Amino acid sequence: MAFQNRNKFCYFKENGIHDIDYKDVKLLRRFINDQGKIMPRRVTGTSAKMHRKLVRAIKRSRSIALMPYVERGIE
Amino acid sequence: MRYYETIYIVDPNLENLVLDKTMDEISKELEKTESKLINHRVWGKKRLAYQIEKQKYGTYVLLQFEEGNQDKMVDFSTWMKLNNSIIRHMTVLLDSKPELYAEESKKDEQVEKETAANNGEEKTQESESKLEETK
Repeated sequence: MAFQNRNKFCYFKENGIHDIDYKDVKLLRRFINDQGKIMPRRVTGTSAKMHRKLVRAIKRSRSIALMPYVERGIE
Repeated sequence: MRYYETIYIVDPNLENLVLDKTMDEISKELEKTESKLINHRVWGKKRLAYQIEKQKYGTYVLLQFEEGNQDKMVDFSTWMKLNNSIIRHMTVLLDSKPELYAEESKKDEQVEKETAANNGEEKTQESESKLEETK
């Protein structure tokens, strides 16, 4: 797991990102697990404000088929 | 003023000419809502995260515009839904005014740089003549 054994910090605050674009799949992929589920805040360390934005972006990109609802092979 | 972005997926097997035609149709349909079109461009062919209408790939097209008549946007949405060449679409409210997508200007800059590297003298002459024209 990418997020284990690491000091928690908000990825977005650290990198100065204020708005999350639903088209930026490469970024959003970091915050879902291998089943395609959104990782909890307690694991990723994302701030509450940015987590809300993140969730909205992930759900948007799911609905336009940029990201999976359920990852293949797990169904 | 509010700005919106519509992203839609088109059948990837469409030829370029047909794709241009459908994009024109969509632009025309958007005009009916009195919206002001800012950008309308092909984002690219991508693999879909899940199959839609038995398609594994799709061509994504982005459409950014300034709000027009809100009541007519419902008709636009239904029209998009009924259009057979569009697999799926989604309209999203943007936070700020979208920048004009300048593919052509970028290309021009690149071309100019290349030409400048190849033959600097000719380029300066051209630019001078251009400047004179603009003046």
